[in-house]
Amino acid sequence: MFSYNLKLAIKSMRRNPMMTVLMVAAIAVGIGISMTTLSVYYMMNGNPIPEKSDQLFAVTLDSWSPIRPFDVDRPERAPHQLTYQDAERLAELAAGKRQAAMFESSLIIEPVNDEEMPFEATARVTTGDFFSMFNVPFIYGDGWDKAAGAEPMVVLTRQLNERLFGGEDSVGRWLTMNSMRFQVAGVIDTWEPTPRFYDPINGGFREINEMFIPFGLTRVLELDSIGSDWGWKAEEITSFEQWLNSEASWIQYFVELDGDRDEYLAHLDAYVGEQKNLGRFERPMNNNIYNVMEWMDYHEVVANDSRVLLGLSFLFLVVCLLSTITLLLTKFVGKKSETSLRRALGASRGIIFRQQIVEVAVIGFAGGLIGLLLTSFGLQGIQYLYASPPGLVSLDWVIMSAAISVAIISSMIAGLYPAWRVCQVPPATQLKAQ
Amino acid sequence: MGFGPMMSSLLRSKTGPLLVSLQIAVTLAIVINSLFIVLQRVEKINRNTGMDVDNVIIAYVRGFGEGFDVVNSIRNDIDLLNSIPGVIAVSVTNQVPLSGSGSGSGLRAVPDETIDAAPAGRYTWSDKGLDALGVELTRGRNFYAEEIEYILPEGTSPPQDSILITQALADELFPDDDALGKTVYWGSMEPSIIVGIIGHMHGSWVGWDKLSNVVIQPGIYAYTTNKFMIRVEAGMRDELMPIIEQQLGESNRQRVVKSVRSLEELADRSYRRDRGMAIILGIVITLLVGLTALVIVGLSSFHVTQRTKQIGTRRALGAKKRDIIKQFVLENWIITTAGAVLGALLTVVVAYWLETSFSLPRLDWNYLPIGIVSLWLLSTLAVIEPARRAASVPPAVATRSV
Repeated sequence: MFSYNLKLAIKSMRRNPMMTVLMVAAIAVGIGISMTTLSVYYMMNGNPIPEKSDQLFAVTLDSWSPIRPFDVDRPERAPHQLTYQDAERLAELAAGKRQAAMFESSLIIEPVNDEEMPFEATARVTTGDFFSMFNVPFIYGDGWDKAAGAEPMVVLTRQLNERLFGGEDSVGRWLTMNSMRFQVAGVIDTWEPTPRFYDPINGGFREINEMFIPFGLTRVLELDSIGSDWGWKAEEITSFEQWLNSEASWIQYFVELDGDRDEYLAHLDAYVGEQKNLGRFERPMNNNIYNVMEWMDYHEVVANDSRVLLGLSFLFLVVCLLSTITLLLTKFVGKKSETSLRRALGASRGIIFRQQIVEVAVIGFAGGLIGLLLTSFGLQGIQYLYASPPGLVSLDWVIMSAAISVAIISSMIAGLYPAWRVCQVPPATQLKAQ
Repeated sequence: MGFGPMMSSLLRSKTGPLLVSLQIAVTLAIVINSLFIVLQRVEKINRNTGMDVDNVIIAYVRGFGEGFDVVNSIRNDIDLLNSIPGVIAVSVTNQVPLSGSGSGSGLRAVPDETIDAAPAGRYTWSDKGLDALGVELTRGRNFYAEEIEYILPEGTSPPQDSILITQALADELFPDDDALGKTVYWGSMEPSIIVGIIGHMHGSWVGWDKLSNVVIQPGIYAYTTNKFMIRVEAGMRDELMPIIEQQLGESNRQRVVKSVRSLEELADRSYRRDRGMAIILGIVITLLVGLTALVIVGLSSFHVTQRTKQIGTRRALGAKKRDIIKQFVLENWIITTAGAVLGALLTVVVAYWLETSFSLPRLDWNYLPIGIVSLWLLSTLAVIEPARRAASVPPAVATRSV
């Protein structure tokens, strides 16, 4: 029966090719636009580390000015980064299961021979727990352990290892950066948590840094941050040591907890209490921790534009469906005589109805397929427009199946009324008129 | 005349016209709101920057290795850049306007920490800085060459006597007074004197509402990482960029040329999100308007074929071609007007949603009548051809059996 219905459907679609093309196009365009914006929204809204997003917390301490809050519009918020001195001390106290203090820097990788040119590469300067905390996958070697906190060790990304060592196992090899010899501790596999949850402050959708080096080297190499820094206090800073001991906030700090939040918050309060006795932290006690998804919300990682586009594009899909209903209706009206003939020959209303629905589903399926194609073009366009790292937004099976099902289901819903109308055609009356 | 048959045929098939009205309504709501967003973004992207954006090149360099002499390297680089034919002016800067990367500070007209400071983008460059960006000083004076000193990362900062500020910042600091010659205070309460006023220029963060608040201090940052602003003769930029990159690279092997970019490219990057949004919404609008027009054409053509007999009869009974066209156009007007009324309502709802949920600017209500009239014209255009075809049905058709 289905194949018969399918045959009839295709026959009917060919009878009115313009109409069919228009309907398929309407659905395809609607699906293409809405699925493109949905993919972007879905990507931005995704959980980058679902297996432990509830155990990882960003830490904020209110070390800001006694006169005004860090964010005047949201006075309840403490600065979103820590001062170097606080990050260093919290890492030493190590009250959580694991902790990572970090910032972004860049180093000059010096050539091994005279023919090659030196080049600059970005580095995440962080503590040894970073890799195990964030489930970073390694191809070769491993991170560095705590004891090696200030040794010149480096963990390379797959790409940088490719560039420097042709992709081979480079663990134990040496490279010179900022006039210091570094030994390769490990090479990580492709690791692109999206959004880049550990650093939404400097951009949730940027590429990850090209290498990782120990936080303890900050002082030795006088590493500058290439990320953002915020300050409130007028301090005379004439040396790097003074900068490290200043009240400027520029270190991002994460902690992994097994126990409950309150316990860790109490630890933070105790730490800040001690600092208050030393004359720092003049604001009221306001320390906070945010799990990964809370941290994404805090930084409004999902751009408002993306939500607006999602809303408008689904309204657009509504227009496309309205077009489809209108076109189907007019088309079915044109089939009155055929329907009445079939009814006169014994076809029941149910049979006619089913046949119409099959026809609509075929149109929906075709529209969905073309819509998918348009979605993939759309995503390429988005990647080009926003110059996002390749593969950041891609068609995955969730979006693909969503696209096809939305196309078929919505076009079938759109087809219900027209199909019902067709069934109302009484048998034979139409034949009379001719 | 003409109204009777039209209404009766409209009433006979209510659903079709109703659906088209609904479609027109939703179309109107999307198009007006999207168009408003698009035009706002376009306006934002095309704002006057106060700089000669098209003819400025930014070179990022970084020295490395033991014993790298920053000051000497900068001196040589400036001489080298100035010697390239076509280069008008060169200056080192701590930050690049429009690039998305910058520094900010607050200034106060009185040395009182408790009052709110006027926020401003903060730049440090030499007496050639204004010329290197093509920024115009409207009043007062530029920095003197003697005021320019090298600022070393580990030295004490030199006295910050003279500063230049933009008119926007001047107005915020001294709303009722002339700012030129006045003393202002930094966060540290150190004073500076405003020696010149820049009519207008943009700072680094294009999304910031205080983008036009800019303060400039004299000096040359002698850090290992350096940014050069280079203004060149009109039209020579693309030709000079590779030359600059090559000459800088060859002149000193202790220094990496990180990148040489046009200021235009840096600004384009900063506006990428806005441009992306405008383009995507532009595509949505085009597709939407096209689709709705096609549906109107399709529906009208269909009605023409459906009603060939009726038209023939009317023609046989003395209706002129004109009357038939009028019938179809009027029919379409009724549908469109119904859609426009509903659409106006829907537009307001969508605009309210955008404004309250996403704090987008409030819709300029002038868009509503303009949108309605354009949609109305479009739908009339879409119906003209089918209506013509209808009118050309010969009267004899009515008497012929189908």
